[in-house]
Amino acid sequence: MLTAENVTKKYGSFTAVDDVSVSLGDGVVTVIVGESGSGKSTLARMLSYIESPDSGRVMLGETDMTSCSGSKRRSLRKNVQLVMQDAASSLDPHQTAFQLLEEPLKLLIKLDKPHRVSRIGELVEAVQFPRERLKNKVSQLSGGQQKRLCIARALAAAPDHIIFDESFSGLDVTLRRQILTMLKGLQKQLGLSFLIITHDLDTAMFMADRIYVMRCGRIIETLDRPQSFIDFKEDYSKELVKAAEYKRQLLLNSLSRGQQQSAGKENMKESL
Amino acid sequence: MLKKLLHRPQAVVGMLMMLTVLTVMAAAPCFAPNDPNKIDILHKLAAPCEQYPLGTDEMGRCILSRLIFAARVSMSISLPAIGAIAAISVLLATFCAYTGGIADRIFVILSNIFMALPPFLVAMTLVGLFESKAFSIIISIVIAMWVWNAQVVRTYVLREKNKPYIVTCRMSGCSELRIILRHIIPNIFPHLLVLYSTGLSGVIIMISGYAFLGLGLEAGAAEWGAMLVGANKLIFSHPELIAYPGLCILFAAAGFNLFGEALRDICDPGED
Repeated sequence: MLTAENVTKKYGSFTAVDDVSVSLGDGVVTVIVGESGSGKSTLARMLSYIESPDSGRVMLGETDMTSCSGSKRRSLRKNVQLVMQDAASSLDPHQTAFQLLEEPLKLLIKLDKPHRVSRIGELVEAVQFPRERLKNKVSQLSGGQQKRLCIARALAAAPDHIIFDESFSGLDVTLRRQILTMLKGLQKQLGLSFLIITHDLDTAMFMADRIYVMRCGRIIETLDRPQSFIDFKEDYSKELVKAAEYKRQLLLNSLSRGQQQSAGKENMKESL
Repeated sequence: MLKKLLHRPQAVVGMLMMLTVLTVMAAAPCFAPNDPNKIDILHKLAAPCEQYPLGTDEMGRCILSRLIFAARVSMSISLPAIGAIAAISVLLATFCAYTGGIADRIFVILSNIFMALPPFLVAMTLVGLFESKAFSIIISIVIAMWVWNAQVVRTYVLREKNKPYIVTCRMSGCSELRIILRHIIPNIFPHLLVLYSTGLSGVIIMISGYAFLGLGLEAGAAEWGAMLVGANKLIFSHPELIAYPGLCILFAAAGFNLFGEALRDICDPGED
């Protein structure tokens, strides 16, 4: 269990996260939604211990991460992994895909070379990353492959918790669906706990066992096992639902316009 | 990178010029037709002939042999000088920029002090410090120039350490030292190569400048700058005596500069 207990983070006079408590249960998918600047990513960075809270504490099981030494914290990294938004910039451009996957296996779970090679084979299969691309550097991979590589890297050390910080934004709809379906399968199969940070309610509804709604650095609503958008009770959450529905309507309109245009072209061809 | 270099005419020309200088330096005794310091009083200021392919100077010394050996002198001072500058600037700037805090602040204050002193003035003050003239020149160049290079390296490291992939490295279990050695240095290495290859041409010119000001090696030494000074008084009667060493300085400096510039173009992110 990974928990944040009353964590607060300030940048100068601006309070990014204000006295927030969340818990990521084992084998559970938790989603945090909220608009940009609501403190979601800061919370994710504190939970993955990239940043330390100004007050409050982050607990991994019974261990208080806030009071751990650097080396102890490094050894605990294998339990919590972070997948960032921009796959291309979150991978070392100078290394090959193989080297990127090898590093956590070597440093976090201290596997020897033959075991590392076989584990990398398993990982690329799990995330459907083409094996022949392992020799390529990040810039030679497509966006989807980079994303899959990030997920494989996070899975490498067999963590209990993986945090996805806006990891699915910027992907086209088909690719996002593919990756989310793959992740859902992996989560069930391996019993992982996911924390997904997103502003996309569709992603949230598709993945979540629990949804936290964040606004101005605070959790304003918590939903367990949400079934539909009508489960949201807070006014702000309803605003988010409205925005999501509006986005969906725009997409439907553009799709129907496209269909009408192609039908019109077909008619013209026939009349000619 | 080598492939990209070979596709650029500028890089190929620069590399060929650089290799020519380095080969001449390494195998000077094989290329030189005569002893560079042998005085032939009967053939003072002789025109080019079979024995002296570029003629002789005012003391009857073979000009071609002196030019060839001068490459060795120039390189034997400029290579250790640039090596020392590289070592000091990379170690110090990387450590201070990566650590940040008080170390970086002290570095900035120190470098501001050093940068306030004009390099040539520092060099002129220090050049007579040691018994060995060559060693004095190396030390004075290093003291005068390290700070300019260290500032550039600091900027590279600061830019690199704030990139998202550094967070991923931490998540992969990398220690701070490993992040510097395995991720930051390899990523800034092409930029360092550019910095020091163009820096080398600056040092070559600086050494010749010292000699021209009478601060260089012992009188009569086969060195391009010293040869320029020697030929000063014969500028109207024998202008070629000034042209030869001048062209050699130009050739060596241009070679390293061209190569450095081509490297910079290749390393530019816009190239990928």
